[in-house]
Order: sequence, then C-alpha cells, then structure tokens
Amino acid sequence: MIKTENVTKYFNRGNPDEVLAVNDVSIEVKEGDFAVFKGPSGSGKTTLLSLIGCMSRPTSGRVIVEDRDVSRLPERFMTEVRRNTFGFIFQQFHLIKGISVCDNVMLPVLPTDIKPSKLRKSAVRILENLGMSGRIDFPVQKLSGGEQQRTAIARALINNPDIILADEPTAHLDTHLSEEFLSIMRNLQQQGKTIVIATHDPLVYDKDYVSLIIEMRDGRVREIIRN
Amino acid sequence: MRRSTMFFVFTAINLVIMALLYIQSHISLSEHHILRKDIKEIVKTLHLTDMVLATDARYTRNPTQADLFSAFQDYPGSIEHFPTGSVIPPPDMDSMGKLIEIKTDGP
Amino acid sequence: MALEKHINILDYTLQSLLRRKFKNIGIIMVFTLVIFTVSSIIFLSYSLRQEAHLLLKNSPEIVVQKMRAGRHELISTWLMTEIRGIPGVSDVEPRYWGYYYDSGVKANYTILGIGASGLENNKVVSGRMPSPHEKNVAAIGRGIADVRVIKKDLGSILYLQAADNKWMNFNIVGIFESDSGIMTADLIVISKEDFKALVSMPDDTATDLAVHVSNEAEIPTVARKIKEQFPDSRPILRDEIIRTYDAVFGWRSGLIITLFMGALIAFIILAWDKATGLSAEEKQEIGILKAIGWETSDVLEMKFWEGLVISLTSFMCGIILAYIHIFFMGASLLAPALKGWSVIYPEFRLAPFIDFYQIAILMSLTVVPYIASTIIPSWKASITDPDIVMRG
Ligand SMILES: Nc1ncnc2c1ncn2[C@@H]1O[C@H](COP(=O)(O)OP(=O)(O)O)[C@@H](O)[C@H]1O
Ligand SMILES: [Mg+2]
Repeated sequence: MIKTENVTKYFNRGNPDEVLAVNDVSIEVKEGDFAVFKGPSGSGKTTLLSLIGCMSRPTSGRVIVEDRDVSRLPERFMTEVRRNTFGFIFQQFHLIKGISVCDNVMLPVLPTDIKPSKLRKSAVRILENLGMSGRIDFPVQKLSGGEQQRTAIARALINNPDIILADEPTAHLDTHLSEEFLSIMRNLQQQGKTIVIATHDPLVYDKDYVSLIIEMRDGRVREIIRN
Repeated sequence: MRRSTMFFVFTAINLVIMALLYIQSHISLSEHHILRKDIKEIVKTLHLTDMVLATDARYTRNPTQADLFSAFQDYPGSIEHFPTGSVIPPPDMDSMGKLIEIKTDGP
Repeated sequence: MALEKHINILDYTLQSLLRRKFKNIGIIMVFTLVIFTVSSIIFLSYSLRQEAHLLLKNSPEIVVQKMRAGRHELISTWLMTEIRGIPGVSDVEPRYWGYYYDSGVKANYTILGIGASGLENNKVVSGRMPSPHEKNVAAIGRGIADVRVIKKDLGSILYLQAADNKWMNFNIVGIFESDSGIMTADLIVISKEDFKALVSMPDDTATDLAVHVSNEAEIPTVARKIKEQFPDSRPILRDEIIRTYDAVFGWRSGLIITLFMGALIAFIILAWDKATGLSAEEKQEIGILKAIGWETSDVLEMKFWEGLVISLTSFMCGIILAYIHIFFMGASLLAPALKGWSVIYPEFRLAPFIDFYQIAILMSLTVVPYIASTIIPSWKASITDPDIVMRG
C-alpha cells in the first residue's frame, strides 16, 4: 500500500541551516495496517508523514503509494493522489475559523461538481456517526478540543480515503478523549482503512491492535516491530 | 439561498439598474433642450462664442476671446484661458489644416 | 453540470469574505468612493464637453480681433470689405459686445449690440428681440431677470449707466428662457445704436468681426490669409474655441483629481499592501486548503472570485452612484470646482452623455489590477508544498 525506498529529506539544502530531517528510510505499510511512527520530538515523524501523504517531495529515494511512484509526480497529480487517497488529521486540527462545523467538513470536496446539498448530506452522516449531531451548524471556534478533533476526523473522512494520516493526534487531549480517538481509529481500521499515526504517546503505541510500530530517531528508522 | 445566488442576484440588480440608467440617459437626451434648434439658432444669430460658465470675472466669461487681460495671446492658436494656456501648448501650425472633429447633431 | 465546482468555490469565497466583514466592507467602501469620484468627474466633464461641442459648432467659423501693441482693440469696419474679398469667405458681420459691471448685484453682464434682426420665431425667447435700430429696448437672459434686486420681467425697465455718466433706460421686451441659460443667462441684447451710445464707441468700429466660411476645409487657409493681409489682427478659429473648452474642462478635472489624490493614494497603498504580501493567516488558510485536497487552480480561482466580488461590487455601485450624483442631483459635490461659480449662474440640467470609452478605461485600470493584486501574491503561496501546515 505505502512503500518508501531510501527516502531522504533535507530542508534548506546547501544553506547554513541545512537539516537532514529524514535519512535513508525504507519502510512498508500494508493495507489494513494500524501503523504508528514512534519517536521523540524532532526525530522526523512529521516529515515522513508529509512525504507519504504527498504534501512534500523527498530529496532522494522513492515514495510508492498504491503501486504508484508519487515522488516525481507533477504537482497536479500529487494533489489528485492526496485528495483521493488520504485523509489528514493535523496536530493543530487546522479547522477554518469563522465557518460552521459542517462547512469545514465539506471543504475538501467543494471543488468538485457535486451539489452542495449532496455534500452536506454526506458530511452530516459522517458527523452523526462521530456523535456530533448536535454541533452540525456550530461555529468551530466555539467547540471543545475533543469536538474540534472529531470535526477534523470528519473532514478527513469526507473523501472516503483509503488511508488516514494523523500527526500527534493525542497531544492536546486528556486520557479519556485520547481513548475515544483511538477507538474511532480502530473502528475505521476494522472498516478496512489503513491508519498511520505519528506520536510519542505510549497510550497509542501500546495498544494491542497496533500492527506496525516504526521507531525513529534523528531521521533514521531505529526499529520496525510487526505484531 | 446560496451565497453565490445572492451575489448573482445582486450583480444582476446592479446591471439592471445600469441598463435602466442607460435607457434613462437616452430618453433624457432625446428631449434635452441642449439639442433644440432654437438654442443653436440663438448661438448662430448672436454670434456667441462662449458658455456662461463663470461670470465672476470678465476674464473667465469669454475664455476663447483675446482681451486686454488674456494671458497668452502671442502665439497663434494658444489658448486664451489662464491657467490652461500656461500648461497646454498651442498646436503645431503645420497641422492647423486638419480640423478637430466636431460631432454632428444628436448623441 | 460542470459549473457546480466554480459556484461551490464562489460560495466558499463569499463565506470567507464575510468572515472578515469589517475589513472587506471597508475595502469596498474606499474602492466605491474612488470609482464614484473618478466616474463623477468623467461623467460631468464629458457631458460639459459634449454640450460645448454641440453648441459652439454654431459659433462663427472665424472671429477676427484687432491687436495694437499686442493688446485687443476695437476693429475698423472697413476691414470687412477687404476680408469679404478673400476667396472662401461667404460673409463678414461686425460684433458689438462688452461687459457691464452692476455694482448693486455685484455681477458682470455681457452686453451685446445687434445690427440685424433674427430669432423671430424662437421658442426659447419670450417676447421679442430688439430690432436693429430700435432705441431703449432690451432682451435679457433669464439669469439677469431673476437676479436683479428688484425682479425684472417683460415690461419692466432696466437702467444702465452710460460711459458719459448718463443713465439709459431700457424697456425689457424679450427674455431668453432658462433652457438656453448656458449660452444666454447673463446677456443683455440691445440695438447696435444703443450699444454704441452706452459705451461711446466710435463710428466705423466694432468689437470684432465674425467671418463666415462655408467650406470647413478652407477655414485655416482663410485665417492665414487674414493674418497675412492684416498682421495686427488675430483670427480665432471655431476649432480653437472648442479646443479651449476641452482644455478648460480638462484642467478643471485635473484639479479635482489632484485634490482627490489623498484618497487615491490611500487606495493605491491598500492595493499595494495586498499585492506585496499575504498575512500569515491567509497563507495558512491556503496551506490547509491545499493539504486537504484543493488544487493550485482551485485556490487561485478562489482568489480570483475574491478580487472580482470586491472590485465588481465597488465598480458597479460607484458608477451608479456617480450617475445619480451627476445627472439627477446636478453634480452637487463637484459643481463648484468643475462647473465654475458666479453670481449669475445658469440653472442647467446636464445632458447625460456617457463616454463608454472612458468608463471602460476606468474599469480596466481598477477592476483588473485589483483582481491581479489579489491573485498574484497567492500564486506563490499556492504553488509551494503544503507541508508547512504540518508544522507549528
Ligand atoms: N520546513 C522545515 N524547515 C526546516 N527544518 C525543518 C522543517 N520541518 C522540519 N524540520 C526539522 O526537521 C527535523 C524533523 O522534524 P519533524 O519531522 O517535525 O520531527 P517530529 O515530527 O518527529 O518532531 C527537526 O529537526 C525539524 O526542526
Ligand atoms: Mg511532529
């Protein structure tokens, strides 16, 4: 499903502030996996996640998503892969303030030729499944942290993606909400989606349904554990 | 209503107003006294050369006519109206043969 | 339907404009003010110019004035015969005119002596015109009739002080009604004999000569010949008269635009500010949209709509308000600067001539650059990789 071959990512290459964020990483995530990128802050988890998710390109090496080499695709096709394959849940949620929960959830699919009434219907269905039925037309800036995250999850699901990518999803949540988030992810995995989470929270990688743990340090893979 | 629909309606209303104003301008022009031949006859018969736009001083009453107080009257074709004459140069005498186009009757 | 995508993006654009309601309403207001002012000037000066063209093309083809030592002086009427001899000249008529300052009203009148009859059936003239040799009768402009301290009308007597300190009285037999005000408001028309007596003008002289040339193309040649034969004369062509009015309204428009420069510069700074950089917030929004699957072209389309909505709204509102201001409200805000002022001011309804060419230029100088200044800075943000939203 997702494969990286000797992927390396430099930031500010050739400048004094050059950073080698990801160094010669070769991993494989299989369909239906519940994968965790584990490692201390600054170890390159986020960078690796964005390389996989077609948000940036590797300096060298190849990224293969669903048997397609995406690392050299032109911009337009990268966007297409990103839109059709991935759902993103960001650490800071990144909801658009000032508009409602439902409008935020519909955002990824607005530039399509589907009628807004139809888009709204599917957004409402997803929100209801996530227990957000009472908050559909609520302005997002007034939501609690957990609700904001569920909105972000709903937004990630509106494309019906095969792969969910989440970056430090439990960083701003208490234990109870973190458990809730994980059960949602577990649920999605059971529905056939592939889950990839970058985190340094033991609550996440100690779960017994985690099928793949990739431990990183200083941009390199330190250990790969398959359960 | 969708916001885009509201925007289109708003734009359409504006366009309709502009169209109505355009029609209004035509109607108003067609019956405007400026086009009456009576007024043209007065101009012709009395040999008038200037508009009554400023009677506050003699030098602004007939800006086209040379007078004791005209600012620039030496160079042929120089405009008699200060400060225009000091800013806008007189035309090239060689091109004096060419006439400035004057619109004929009506809008 | 393939349009749905664009309408969806427009929907979102309007939604995000409403999110920053005050900022955007402020921009629209400033923008509207700029369009309103500039198009008011365009409407008003174009209308005045057109009126000048329409009216003044009935003026004499050439007016010949006499100069002595470079100053204007009365012209001898014997020149008329000589000028008549120039090929192309169809007729020469003397003009008798001058100014009269009425210290009671503190206004200047224009006094015109006529030596020929005319205007018998003119519907703009109430009453009649003085006949060429009739004494002590006058036709006056509606402007004077209304402004005189004691209201004058047909049948009243008008007193004018002659050069020899005697008072002359004139029976008002005609009034130029206000429809013709733009040409006649301050006129006092009397017979040529009365005029000469009033100002003590010597016999065989006139103020200047009106030369008629039937073939338009010959006007400059005739003027040149007059100038050659009489070096102390100054022929004024009708085209110069019209050109003077173009220039007068031109510099008056320029004057207003100069006064208005402050607002204009503020607007340019505003547009410049937008064009040179996006706020961090806007950059992040673009990053988020790209990260969740918007294409670069979708983001740019959103920015296009944003620029279009603001500039089109402002443009249309500005134009409509300007039209109402100029042609329904008599240009009340600009009139003092553009129309000029005076004690006797003709009350005239502006003819709504519209210069589509200038309006189109105004549109291309405001709407197009504004849209460009919203799209161009977003270009860079929208082609960079969206992974910045993954950090911080
Ligand atoms: N856009 C960037 N420019 C420069 N350095 C970056 C950038 N993104 C990440 N880094 C650096 O790359 C390294 C890895 O960062 P990151 O992938 O965010 O690690 P993690 O998510 O594991 O904390 C860090 O040293 C970080 O400072
Ligand atoms: Mg990180």
